[in-house]
Amino acid sequence: MAPTLMLNLEEEVSMVLFGVGFTMLLLHRNLIKKIMGMNIMDTAIYLFLAAKGYIEGRGVPILTDGVQDASAYINPVPSGLVLTGIVVSVSTTALMLALTIRLYERYHSLDLDQILISMKMEEEEQL
Amino acid sequence: MSFVQNFPFFSIIIAMFSGIVSSVLSGKKARAVSITAITVTTVLSACVLAFCLRTGQSYTYMMGHFPAPWGNEIRAGVLEGLTAVLFGVVMFLSVVGGLRYTEEDVEPSKQNLFYIMIDLMLSSLLALIYTNDLFTAYVFVEINTIAGCGLIMMSQTGRSLTAAIRYMVMSSLGSGLFLIGLSLLYDVTGQLLMSPAKEAVARIVADGSYQIPLLVIVAVVSVGLAIKSGLFPFHYWIPDTYGYATPTASAVLSGLVSKGYIFLLIKFFYRVIGTENAVHSHIINTLFVFGVAGMMFGSLRAIMQTDTRKMIAYSSVAQIGYIYMGIGLGTQAGMIAAIFHIFSHGATKALLFISCVGLYKASGDRTDFLALRGSGYRNRLAGAGFLIGALSMVGFPMLAGFISKLLFATSAFASPHKMLITLIALAVSTVLNAIYFLRLLIGLYRPTKSGSFVEAAPAEQSGRGGEAEAGRSAKLAGRKSNGGVKPAEKGAGQVSGSAALAANPWTMRIAIVCFIILNLILGLFSQPIVRVITDGLAMFG
Amino acid sequence: MSVLLPVLWPIAAGVAVLAYTGICNSKRKASAGSAASGETAAAKGVSGGGNAYAADTGTVSGGLSGTGNASETGAEPGASHSAASHSQITTLDLIYMAALALETVLVILAAAGGGSVRLFSLTDTLTLGLRVDGTGSLFAVLTSIMWLLTGIHSVAYMKHEEWAERFYGFYLIVVGVLVGLDYAADLVTLYVFYEMMTLTSLPLVLHELTKEAVQAGMKYLFYSVGGAFLALFGIFYLANVCGDLSFTAGGRFTAEMAAGAPLLLTAVFCMIVGFGTKAGMFPLHGWLPIAHPVAPAPASAVLSGVITKAGVMALVRIIYFLVGPDVLRGTWVQAAWMVLTLLTVFMGSMLAYRENVFKKRLAYSTVSQVSYVLFGLSLMNPIGFTGALTHVVFHSAIKTCLFFFAGAVIVVTGWKKVDQLRGLGRVMPLALAAYTMASLALIGIPPFSGFVSKWYLATGSLASGTGALGFIGPVVLLISALLTAGYLLPIMIRGYFPGQDFEGKEIEERGLAKKEPSLLMLVPIAILAAATLLLGCFPGPLVAFVEKIAAAVM
Repeated sequence: MAPTLMLNLEEEVSMVLFGVGFTMLLLHRNLIKKIMGMNIMDTAIYLFLAAKGYIEGRGVPILTDGVQDASAYINPVPSGLVLTGIVVSVSTTALMLALTIRLYERYHSLDLDQILISMKMEEEEQL
Repeated sequence: MSFVQNFPFFSIIIAMFSGIVSSVLSGKKARAVSITAITVTTVLSACVLAFCLRTGQSYTYMMGHFPAPWGNEIRAGVLEGLTAVLFGVVMFLSVVGGLRYTEEDVEPSKQNLFYIMIDLMLSSLLALIYTNDLFTAYVFVEINTIAGCGLIMMSQTGRSLTAAIRYMVMSSLGSGLFLIGLSLLYDVTGQLLMSPAKEAVARIVADGSYQIPLLVIVAVVSVGLAIKSGLFPFHYWIPDTYGYATPTASAVLSGLVSKGYIFLLIKFFYRVIGTENAVHSHIINTLFVFGVAGMMFGSLRAIMQTDTRKMIAYSSVAQIGYIYMGIGLGTQAGMIAAIFHIFSHGATKALLFISCVGLYKASGDRTDFLALRGSGYRNRLAGAGFLIGALSMVGFPMLAGFISKLLFATSAFASPHKMLITLIALAVSTVLNAIYFLRLLIGLYRPTKSGSFVEAAPAEQSGRGGEAEAGRSAKLAGRKSNGGVKPAEKGAGQVSGSAALAANPWTMRIAIVCFIILNLILGLFSQPIVRVITDGLAMFG
Repeated sequence: MSVLLPVLWPIAAGVAVLAYTGICNSKRKASAGSAASGETAAAKGVSGGGNAYAADTGTVSGGLSGTGNASETGAEPGASHSAASHSQITTLDLIYMAALALETVLVILAAAGGGSVRLFSLTDTLTLGLRVDGTGSLFAVLTSIMWLLTGIHSVAYMKHEEWAERFYGFYLIVVGVLVGLDYAADLVTLYVFYEMMTLTSLPLVLHELTKEAVQAGMKYLFYSVGGAFLALFGIFYLANVCGDLSFTAGGRFTAEMAAGAPLLLTAVFCMIVGFGTKAGMFPLHGWLPIAHPVAPAPASAVLSGVITKAGVMALVRIIYFLVGPDVLRGTWVQAAWMVLTLLTVFMGSMLAYRENVFKKRLAYSTVSQVSYVLFGLSLMNPIGFTGALTHVVFHSAIKTCLFFFAGAVIVVTGWKKVDQLRGLGRVMPLALAAYTMASLALIGIPPFSGFVSKWYLATGSLASGTGALGFIGPVVLLISALLTAGYLLPIMIRGYFPGQDFEGKEIEERGLAKKEPSLLMLVPIAILAAATLLLGCFPGPLVAFVEKIAAAVM
């Protein structure tokens, strides 16, 4: 068991990070921390992908010295996925941050429960 | 290669491009562009459907110059074509039916943004339907989420902002799970395209290696997409989200967006994991259990609501439960029933959301049951639309909902272990549906004095006496008397029957009539559609 | 095609009436627009200035009393209408009666002409279609005749209610739906019409729109819909086992098919309970006594006399034309069904005996009597079947007559409770005589009609070979007949012979003496009373007709 654990260190770390991020996103009441959780979760996946794409002892996937043999290079696809994923995650983060700013301006709080309570109170007053 | 085979790609790119162009256009022009884009893509999808029906097989379309397993692919068959056409029609009618209300609810300077979101939504839905690549699916899932969030927050009230953030949080959870699922799948199989991935999965299963990772993949992807489509118990964002967006947004979100994810899940089961493996993994049983629980819970909560929008939203929770129940049966027939229900619920729920706005307008923008009393007379067309929609949801014969229930019931007989539960769940939830929809219908057609609503509503509350409502209604009444005679006059004058009818924008009339026709078509001529679904599933194979 | 006409014609006519009413109302509303706001102001004025809270409450009590019509609000139904302005017959009334008469003719023509029509297919195997056959013709002709008579009665009755046009509209639609149900060629068509019947007859129950009426309407709706979905469960199962659901005399199932379908009996039982809802069978009989008293008397008459028979019709079709009596005879379903019907027969009579509200008493009586019919059907032998179908005809005529009488009493005197009816013979001796005839027929005293059907039911029960239940049956029927006498005859006796101490103060004060109901009301009552006697004296043709059907299905 222990040797396998040592061999797949990156994967394990990424899974732990994913759990941390997921839990933060799900359970934390503070919006900023939720967004941080989301980023941790996404980063964990990138780490996982990068770790799976990397092959010990091989070079960057750019042709060097005319070597055409694929076994000389690491797998380039996960790197591409990570890049795409980062773009997606940046846009989602931006949107959520923008929303958070709007909510903070309106309710002066970052606590989602607090926001829900003040929203309900506001509606009661309107009635 | 026939020219028609380019159409799936064209339709995705047209929708996306019109969104980009709209960002520099005025609201009116963006609207025109958006409606044109929806029309054109629907026509293109119809061509694809016709093409696939004629050739009798599906085809894959290579994006760029690299063949599988490296390049990106689009795949079109009859089921994809049919789904794209129906989604396009529902989207078109929702946008057209809600035109006026979109104008009212959205700031003039932000009108074009609304239509950008619609365009992006259309493009991402089409991409989810057509794509053959899992990572592309992920990217478009995220685009879909962002567009959906934009649609929800468009009216910029406190409610819609909080609904949007809740939606974003839940969606991010779902996307995260989906992404980790497909990363694991890539790890195990080395493939992202669906067809090669399926071969790899078949090899793995034959070897007996990687059993646990495979189980985790199926579980994580299913849960991720279930969260995003609002399956019980991940439904809590639904009522606020559907309840407080503008009508078009509500119709599109509940009618189409959640269905897009379910369609993706079905594709994942058929095209990647293989149905036998999915059934063996028992994940499908979990989906079945939560589907049934969702049917019960959604219906029960819907009964407890006093606000129509929330009631309809909770009914969506129940209907999503139906779909997952069908998938969870794990048979071909169950899957056909689920897909048919995706269509019938999309058409019906959008009709309900659009037509009930007409009723709200005839009741002074109030959405609770009491205010809506008698509104069926004040706005007859919207009343008729709501009547048809509600009857279809309840499962009245000759309407779409009846066929779904028939298909669910017949498919239940094919899976002996789940037969009894399915039938009981169907029966109970149908009766519950009937309770809350028919109760509302009776209210809609219950005449009030002199066709006014302002009088009847608060007074009815005070008539109940001693309840918590009394305080509120007293406040209301007090406010009214402060305001002098004005509100009363407004109530009596503004909404006598014919006046409200005249206020129906013609676009909305067309939309309601078309939705009713769509419902009847699905209810009366279901057989060709069911046949196409069956063929399409066979092509998934 | 001739079978389509009696279905489409009344529906079209009813929709036309509703549309016409709608147009008239909106015109009137437009002209009375200022009046409406004036009235609102007046309602506010009543409360004494400024107190909007009280004004709202006042408005609602007006609103609840049942009108959405701006120009006629604020009054109890009937109270503010002078008799003079409402006794004449308007053109609409004439058109309405003519439409019903034409419907009767069309139904009879269809019954004579026969034929079938296939409308369209829902799925590959499930089609919608209509077909004329003996059973369908019997029910359809009965329905249309009862509908015509009740229609004539309702013209007189509706002079005392608001919204007569709306009633007429829905009333016309329901008859079309019912005829469609009777002529349905397969189970799906029957189910479609059954659901439509529930929805279109709902406005008849809701008519007065008082709080009680709405609650009763809800109850009616939920019982009906609940029952229908219970039945739908069975329909799904049969569709799965059988494929084709069209009706054939004697049923489609053979013993082998039944053996291959383990849940068949459960499905049939679900359908019996489900469709039994409309027929008022225990345990889903609860809507009947609630819905009848609040509905207008003509609506109660058809609800009780005809619409309950739609449930019977559905069961006849399922048991005798789809599943087949041979499959079910001797199974637990038959025993359970017999127990349920006998329980209902006894319970209905008992409750009727203890009930004081006249229309409610009649409603409980319906619960009991319709279960006579179901009992006959549950015997699954030709004699029982004959008894059941003849009792359908007889009970229809008798109960309609009784409800007409109740309606006439309400219109003339306003009395709704049984103990108020003392001395009724001084008010309307002729109508009370008709009531007496109908009562005797319901109890089953020869030569009145009820005797014939009960004779068949009792002998059928003894011949059914169901062991102890076959003997208990006639006993329960006898007890119930005694109870029937107990709850119907005292009204007649105390009506004609109020006793020494009766002074009839109220009758004299209100000038009610010798005040028979108007001819429009009296004639249908008399016709039906005569029919109960004639059918009892000369039951031959009817019995022969029913026996022919019975021979075909068994």
